[in-house]
Amino acid sequence: MNVRSYGVIMALIALASALAAPLVAGPFWMTLITQIYIYGLLALSVDLLLGHAGLYSLCQASFFAVAAYTTAILQVRYGYPTIVAAPAGLIAGTLLAVLYGSAVRTRGVYFILITIALGYIIWGAMYRWASFTGGDNGITNVPPPSVAGFSIASQTAYYYFVLAVVILCAFGYRILIRSPFGLSLRGIKGSESRMQSLGYRTTMHLYAAFVISGLIASLAGVLYVYYNRFINPVAASFQISVEVSLMAIVGGSGTIVGPFIGAGIFLGLRNWVSSFFELHTAVMGAVFIATVLWAPSGIVGLVERWRTHVGKPKDQQ
Amino acid sequence: MTAAVAIDSLAKVFGGLRAVDGVSLEVAPGERRALIGPNGAGKTTLFHCITGTLPPSSGSVRLFGTDVTYLPEHQRTKLGMSRTFQITNVFTDLSLAENLALAIVGTDRRKWVWNRPLSAFPVVHEQALAGLEAVGLADRADDPVKLLSYGERRQLELALALNTHPKVLFLDEPCAGLSPSERQRIFKMIRALPREITLVIIEHDMDVALGLADRVTVMNRGRVMVEGTPDEVQSNHEVRDVYFGHV
Repeated sequence: MNVRSYGVIMALIALASALAAPLVAGPFWMTLITQIYIYGLLALSVDLLLGHAGLYSLCQASFFAVAAYTTAILQVRYGYPTIVAAPAGLIAGTLLAVLYGSAVRTRGVYFILITIALGYIIWGAMYRWASFTGGDNGITNVPPPSVAGFSIASQTAYYYFVLAVVILCAFGYRILIRSPFGLSLRGIKGSESRMQSLGYRTTMHLYAAFVISGLIASLAGVLYVYYNRFINPVAASFQISVEVSLMAIVGGSGTIVGPFIGAGIFLGLRNWVSSFFELHTAVMGAVFIATVLWAPSGIVGLVERWRTHVGKPKDQQ
Repeated sequence: MTAAVAIDSLAKVFGGLRAVDGVSLEVAPGERRALIGPNGAGKTTLFHCITGTLPPSSGSVRLFGTDVTYLPEHQRTKLGMSRTFQITNVFTDLSLAENLALAIVGTDRRKWVWNRPLSAFPVVHEQALAGLEAVGLADRADDPVKLLSYGERRQLELALALNTHPKVLFLDEPCAGLSPSERQRIFKMIRALPREITLVIIEHDMDVALGLADRVTVMNRGRVMVEGTPDEVQSNHEVRDVYFGHV
């Protein structure tokens, strides 16, 4: 079986299970799986920078939270319909990425530090600007999304909606990373000096990647606020930015399914372990350390390695 | 006629070290110029200043009459400047064809295409194969660079520089670290380049430098010591002193 047909078959199996999930899984699991899709999408936005462009952005939660807050505030406080509130959230998050994108003028540890600082600005604003953001309590009672009188109120309906959005995003993302622009990002990750001598204004390419990443994170934010029905400053926290980066790394950086697998492992473990073990974050830490030590290219990398060494006859290696 | 490259009293100072100390030289279009000199003479630093990797401390660089002294590197590439690196600088995580594709679309608008896969550009793939063919790597097109030997990476290094449509090519020790037979191979490839491409080459191997070049510039301690035809340079006493020590 060649690589292409293997990929197609795996994708079909995944799609079939995703479509059938509501038939077999109860409300607890449906909530968890929807959450995995949304965080997976956020982890995917991190991985465009991390796995392709080689930038460690630690302010992804900012775009996520700004989009979520914008949608929530417009919908709850000003009574705007979803058709206005959701796109406005997307635009607000992306505009923040347009602004924060200037961070790509720095590299390496300076980029990491500056994105941490930028992330804290948003978290601080949401936490302290209580009159506008609701402070610690955030914004509650976000209604289910409804478009043209058609409300996506049930958990199952919203599950399918999120699934559809995630699949569309994955397809778009796949084209993006296979395009000349996507290749240029991997070139910059490999050798920025060489890219410059080949005629690339590398900073502009990284800036564009940063804004696209912000757009995807914003989309995850809008999906999240309608899923969660409330939003508070935790969504903008440094912890979320770190966790989604770890999801991408544990799942398999530089791949599309990796961030989703990482989100599944992370959220699944947290839900399961926290029910009987108080120090569940320690377990997460152990998983991360194990990944870095024994599977540096994540679960997907591990599966790939197994496939090329065990799954194939010798002459095809 | 306007010189392809004209450098006027270029200097690069690192703290107290004058790595390049007032170098002026002109290379005519189509000329092949070798830049030689002992270690630490300032050849690579001069290259970095000309191609925009480092900003010069003073002086100017002109490319076909256009002042490019403070132009960013990517714009110089658009004007027809191209270079190889002394320390191999290729994309090790990508395939050879992808390496070449980056070079091919780097100087035009296709590098910004984000909504179509690279495979939608068969022309780029054909050019990439042709570019690899020219350096004898066509059969490795789909291999990742990781699998290449050091010598093959030097060939790829050359192919990258050749595929940005250069008018002036700067080669920084293209044969560095290669075995004699590999050196011969690279040497032949460089010799076979079309004469329209102006060539400036740093080379330690005297036979290679003198066998390729129309004119030779000898640098020592950041300055130009001698400039002339290979014969003139070879018979120059100062050059003999620098290279072989006092007899």
